Formats: sequence, C-alpha cells, structure tokens
Amino acid sequence: MISFIIRRLALSVVMLFIISIISFFIITLTPGSPYPWGELNPKISAEVKANFRKKFHLDRPLHEQYALIVRDLFTGNLRSIKDDRPVMSRILERLPATVALNITSIVISLSFGTLLGVTAARFHGHWQDALGSIIAFLFIALPGFWITYVVVIALVKGFGVPILGTHSYGIEFPNTLASGLDTLWHLLLPATILALGGIASQSRYLRATMIESLREDYIRTARSKGLSEEVVLYKHALRNSIRPIIAGIGMLLPALIGGAVVIETIFAYPGMGRLGYEAVLERDYPMLVALNFVVAALVLLGNLISDLLAAAVDPRVRLE
Amino acid sequence: MRSIRLFLYGIPAALILLVVAAFVNASFLSVAKKNEMSIGTIGEPSTLNPIQQADSASGQVAGLMFNGLLKYNQDLEVVGDLATTWDLSQETTFQFATEEEATTACAALDGICWEVPLKTSHEGKLLFIQLQEPGLKTSDELEKILLKKGLHPLSFPPLEKEGKERPFKAEPTIRFTLRKDVHWHDGAPFTSADVAFTYHAIMDARVASPSSSDFELVSALETPNPYSVVVRYKKPFSPALLSWMQSILPAHLLEKVEPAKWAQIYNRHPIGTGPFKFGNWKTNEYIRLVKNPDYFRGSPWLDSVVFRVLPDPLTLQLAFQTKQVDFWAVEPWAVKGVENDKRFDLFSSAGNTYNYIGWNLERVMFQDLRVRKALAEAVNIPQMIKYILYGRGIQSTGIFTPKMWFFDPKIQPLPYDPKAAEALLDQAGWKVGTDGIRMKDGKRLSFTLLANNGNEVRRDIATLVQDDLKKIGVEVKVEIYEWSVLLKRFVNKGEFDAIVLGWGLGNDFDQYAIWHSSKTHPEELNFVHYKDPEVDHLLTDIRQEYSRPEILRLATKLQQTIYADQPYIFLFVPEGTSVMWKNSYRIRRPGSKPGEWIDSPVTMTKAGWNYDIEWFYRPEYIPKIPATQIIK
Repeated sequence: MISFIIRRLALSVVMLFIISIISFFIITLTPGSPYPWGELNPKISAEVKANFRKKFHLDRPLHEQYALIVRDLFTGNLRSIKDDRPVMSRILERLPATVALNITSIVISLSFGTLLGVTAARFHGHWQDALGSIIAFLFIALPGFWITYVVVIALVKGFGVPILGTHSYGIEFPNTLASGLDTLWHLLLPATILALGGIASQSRYLRATMIESLREDYIRTARSKGLSEEVVLYKHALRNSIRPIIAGIGMLLPALIGGAVVIETIFAYPGMGRLGYEAVLERDYPMLVALNFVVAALVLLGNLISDLLAAAVDPRVRLE
Repeated sequence: MRSIRLFLYGIPAALILLVVAAFVNASFLSVAKKNEMSIGTIGEPSTLNPIQQADSASGQVAGLMFNGLLKYNQDLEVVGDLATTWDLSQETTFQFATEEEATTACAALDGICWEVPLKTSHEGKLLFIQLQEPGLKTSDELEKILLKKGLHPLSFPPLEKEGKERPFKAEPTIRFTLRKDVHWHDGAPFTSADVAFTYHAIMDARVASPSSSDFELVSALETPNPYSVVVRYKKPFSPALLSWMQSILPAHLLEKVEPAKWAQIYNRHPIGTGPFKFGNWKTNEYIRLVKNPDYFRGSPWLDSVVFRVLPDPLTLQLAFQTKQVDFWAVEPWAVKGVENDKRFDLFSSAGNTYNYIGWNLERVMFQDLRVRKALAEAVNIPQMIKYILYGRGIQSTGIFTPKMWFFDPKIQPLPYDPKAAEALLDQAGWKVGTDGIRMKDGKRLSFTLLANNGNEVRRDIATLVQDDLKKIGVEVKVEIYEWSVLLKRFVNKGEFDAIVLGWGLGNDFDQYAIWHSSKTHPEELNFVHYKDPEVDHLLTDIRQEYSRPEILRLATKLQQTIYADQPYIFLFVPEGTSVMWKNSYRIRRPGSKPGEWIDSPVTMTKAGWNYDIEWFYRPEYIPKIPATQIIK
C-alpha cells in the first residue's frame, strides 16, 4: 500500500514536469504577446516595450524562458506578468472559492446522481426509468454554457435576482441570516449548474451497474430469503454497484475544473477557472505555467485518491 | 439501512430546501441601498500605481484616488488640478560669429530682447531671448527680424532629424504654482518634491513606466520652493503640457524603496491625494474605495465607490439589470431596447474613436488617388452606420473626431456615389473585363481585405465593403485572423492589401506616430506607408506650437490634406451609450462663490456623463446634506 503510494507519487512528479513543458510550449506557440497596453498604441515607445520584455525575460529564447519560470516557480519568485505579484499567492487566494464551488458541486452531483441512478434501476423498464434517462441525456447533450444562459436569463429577467460573484452588492442586509443565505445562493447556483453533467453521468453509470447487480444470483438469494426489497436494493445491490461512482470522483475533478472555466466566467465567480481564462487572454505565461502545474497536480492527486478509495470499498481491488 | 436512506434522500432534499430558501431570500432581499456607487469594470486592474498602468480598468480606478497637476474640465479644456497656475515661456538662443553682431542683433530685437546675458563660447557669441509665448513660430519670427536687418545667426545642429534645420535653439519652460492645501491620504502635505519624484520615477528604467515617452524631452526639472515646479524642455513640444495630467505619486512613501518592491508595498493599496481613498481589494471580485473627507475640494457625498470586476459585457448587463452595478455601457444593437424604457436615464455621445479601411500604399493599385477615391465613394457608409451601428454613429471626415476642439466641422464627407466611382475607375484605366472584374495592364482589380476575429463590427464592415465594391467591378476577398496573428504576420510586416481597423484617440492633436513618413518601420503605426512631405511638415510643426489659433490652423490643414488624400476610407465615429436607473444619481458641485452649490441631474458633457464622480450623490441620502448650502 505505502510503496504503491510512493511509486504513484514519484510517477506523478515526472508527469507534472512533462505536463508543464508541454503546456508552456503550447501557450507560447499561441500567437499574441502579454503587453498590457495593446499592440497598436501610439503612446508606447519601443524603449518601453524593450524594457518590459527584459523585465519578464521575454527577450530570451524559449527554453531559457521555461528554465527561468521553473526555477522561479520552485524558489517562490515566479511573478505574474499582469500585476507583478507572486503567482502562488494569486492562485492561493482563489483556492478557497474554487474548493468551495467544486466540493459543493461534487456533493450535489453524487447525491442526485445516486438517487436518480438507484431510482432508474429500481424501476427498470418503467416510466420512472424512461424519465430519468431523458433527463440524464438532456444534461449530457446540452452544452453547459447554454443551460447556464437559459437559467441566468430566466432568473434575471423573470425575478431580477442577483446572481454574480460571491455575494450581493450595495445592499444593507437586515441580519446575518439574510447575508448568509445570500452568500449560499451565490455558491449553490453555480455549483448546481456545474453539477448537472456530473449528475447525468453518475446516474447512468450507477443505473447500468445496478441493473447488472440486480440480475446476480446473490440478489435472487437475498430475495428468496425474504428480505425486504429496500434491504435488497440498498444493502446488497447498491453496495456492490458503488465502484463506478468512486472511480468517477477522480474523473469528476478534471471535468469540474474544465467546466468551472465557463461557469465561473458567466457568474463572475472568483475561482481558479476564471483566473486561468483571464491569464490565457492576457498571455500571462508564468501564471499559466503555475496554474497548469497546480491543476495537473490536483488531477493526479484526485486519481490517486479515487484509486485508494476503490481499494477501500472493494476488497477485489488490490494496490500493487 | 437508515443511514443509506438518509444519504439517498436526505442530502438531495436538504439541498433543494437550501436552494429554495436562498432563492427566496435573494428575490425578496431588502432594497435598502448603501450610500455607495457600484461601477462594473471589465477585466481586473493590473496595478493601482498610476505611472505603471497601461490598461483602462486600472486607470479608471486610480483616477479617483490621484490628481495630476492639470486636468480636463467638462468641456475638455485644460485646467489646474494640483497646480493653481502654469506659465509658459521660451528661451531662444541665437549664435553669432562675433560679439558685435550679437550686440547689434540684440539692439535689433529691441522691445523683446529684455534679457541679454552674453556668454562667450569658443564657437561664437550666444544671444538669449526670453519670450512669454513658447512655440516654434515665435522663434521663427525673431529670426525673420534678424534676417531683415542683415544679421545671419550661425546654425545649430538640429536636435533630431525632423523638420527643417533652424539657426536657433528654442527651449520652452513651464512654471507650475502648486496648491498649498493638499494632503496625501496619510496626512503628509503635498509639495513640489512629490512632483520631482514622480518625474524621476517615470524616467527610471526599473519602473518600466509606459508614460516615459511623454517626458523624454524634459531637460531639467527644478523645485525652487515647495510650491513651485519649473520644467524645462529641450525643444518646443506642445503635447508635453497634457502629460502633466499624469497622476502624482507620494515621494515620502516611495523614494526610499526599490521600484521592484513597489508591487508589494504600494501598488495594491496606494496612497493618493484624490477624493477617494483606497479601501480594500478582493481579487477578481471588487475594489472598494472610501471617501476622503479631507479632500482639498471638499468631501465627496458618497461613502464609497466599489468597482466590480466582471469578465465580459454580457455579465455587466446582467449585473446592471439586477441593480448590482449602477451603470451599463450599452452595445449599439441593444440601445433600441432601452432608449424608450422609462426605468432608465440614457447618455449618448460620439466617442473619440473612428473605424477605417487602410490601403497598403506600397501596392501599385492603391497609389492612384483616383482609385482610392473611387473605392471610398463606392462604399455606402450611411448604410453601414444604419446596419452595423443601428444608427448610433456619424460618418468620419478624417483623422480627428468631432469632440476635439481642433476638429474641422466644415469638411464634407465623401458622398456615396457608385456612378462617380465607376467613372473615376474608367478614367484611371481600370476597364470592366470579361468576368465582370475591372482590369488594367492584365491585372485584375482584386485585393484581400483583412479584419480581426472576435470583432463583429469590423467583420461586418468587411462584408458590406465586399458587397458594395462588387457592384462597381472590384473583387474583394475577406480574410479574418486572430488579432495577434493579424498584427504579427500582416500589419507589422506590411504584407497586406487592405485592412479594417480603428483608432481610439485621446484628445491629442499630435498624430505624428500614425502619419509621419518616418514611422513606417515594422511595429510602427504608419503601416499603410503614407508619405506626404506637406503632411510631414504639418505634423512636425503642430507639435511645436502652443498657441490655440496656430494649432487650430495647422490641425485644420492636416485634417483637410489627409482626408483629400484618402489613404484610408474614413468610415465612421461610433457613438457610446450608457444607462443608469432613472434618477439614481444627481450631481451637486461647488459653484464659483464659496459656500455655493450647483445641483443638477446627471448629464452628458464632452468629458462624458461620469465626469466629477466625487460630486455624484444618491437622492435618498439628500437629508445628509445641509439644506442651507443648496441653491438650484
């Protein structure tokens, strides 16, 4: 077990470096430059541009730039081109919002996904199953940003409800309950929309494995023992079908971070997804390398955790 | 069993309950507004240090916390801000071979040569003349007087190789007198040392200030006492005056700190002199400024101003509709939807930008003025304004826009006249070929028109131009590229036929960088390779003149000459529109007499509807203002 973890971590470090090299070169291959003033600006002299390039090593060859970025990343001196602040502190200040959004979203997608999956399997072949399938396929098929805009327009046009950022602005809250609920609203709305795809895929996985489990001999045995349908369903079938969900958590993480870029931008939510989106627009190379590094690390960690969890819940899985 | 069921049903039920409760709370939220203005800004400011910023988001926020020596008033006239007065003068130096000649010259200039310090130099004798009026012309006139008397000054080596060589040195000086009642937000007094520090910081390469080119011609900056600043220039350069709108930094806080450390100690929580002080900054969420009760013009009415950082115009619209920001810059297509809406106040005016199609004048087909004129006349610009801007714009008549005081309103826009265009092309030898496209010497009148991706206005312009020109037998191929590809592969290398672009200009008559024939190198802005000796002279002269009538004369000539030459098709000046919720703000600013206040609704001025935010107030907070001070 321990040696497995160590081996996986060592492999992850190698992976991280490969990822960072690839991401740096992809970023620098995209046309554009990180000038904060736009390129056709009559007020900016060539000297100012040269000074700027020098300050951020943009005058060096690419491999040197990369080496300098990695060196600075590990000595903690890597600075964002945008505002000259250390990249790590910029990422860390976004982390709480991102973690809150993603955890809420994982909780929502797991709980609703499981409920929908179990219900669909239980009423396999009935209208409940058909309805569940339609809903799931709708969520999978419709692009997330489209659903988001529909929800947003309905809420804004129909109810005039504030939805952007982490809380409402310019308002005197009557009490802490109101302000607490307000903050919660600004978290739950994007988290729910972010979770829709997860709910759909989780419920489909679970439905499939549940239906399979329900055909197993031990289920027939349990039923013939006279156990109640609920016990059969939850204790015997569900427990044996839970693995794809656990494995899914590892896969949810990258999907959530990808989806969060869109959702965070639409909701003006101050998370890492939007940080990345803005860094791409600004061609903030150091920021992007650092951000890719952190996200890749999170994904690798998520995979490791889901492998460990799978071993914990399923005795057939051995970590070697 | 129970725990499984709790997980299966309990968590979703609880979540649904929470969402419902939060939604109900959000939709019935009390509408008690704080005495706070909320402004949406697209994109996060990079720094609040005004000498290091180049993005408009940063400038907008820092503008409320800082002052310059000068500023624009509502009518875009230059007035004092931290300076109460500024006097211009100019020292002109002539050089003569002998002392006798110099003495005679000084006698000849009787009446204006009021100071005659004759200095001996090994090359001859120098004669200094100080005049109240700076500018090249005044020195030129002195030279004429001398020449008339048969006195021939020796020639000076010119400072730069631009314009013609002149036998004198003209060095303007600006003397600023500063306000004595200004304090920094930390209580320290504002003095001339701050001005000197700001200038030196801008010129410091470690600071990498994008404003440094504005101050390159300064030869010396002196501070004879805490409330006066004397700036000397190497040569007449009138836009330099506007550069003193530059916000001033506090010397006492930054002088002893390495510029590399400013990002940590200052740039994200600056100390300024302005009507608002820095409050707090939550990255990618908001920047809050709070009122400066000790502001030298008086405390603002608002308690605070919050800038909400939003990712794009659509989000800004959503924020406005849910009353999360107080203003919304409406896109042209959306104006129809709000202009008759009783809930809003609407402010529109033509901006300082214009769109154009630039011809690459290195291409032989565009070197014929008749061809350029024909192409311009064949493009239906009024229709373009109607369909692309939804009528929210006016046809451009050249390099200046109507808001500028030196704009020439008498220039008539070229009419839409495809018949005349066809006649012109026939005359120029471009005859319609067998495929319907005009030909001359075996070449087809066909070119590629470039535009950048993501800019719908420019893409639509390209499409309409393609359509219009097809009607007179000109083939246009439209190609759309990503902005940076467009610049790198085509514009900077000069490898294009024609391009749709726009210029957003300040309020500056100095267009040297865009039109002078020396600015045609890669990455320079005269990428259409426009070269005209007369325009070159006008461009060098206008930036050396200080007197309004003279600037107006040169600017008019400049605008007329370039418009007649049609190096671009000057398309249109779009109108900008902003809305706010009806009567959510009014303005109460000090009158001319002490204790007098002028109250007015928010209106559009030349400087925009949001000029003087420190005097904006929310009418529901009106009791907080002493009624005795109010006059209508």
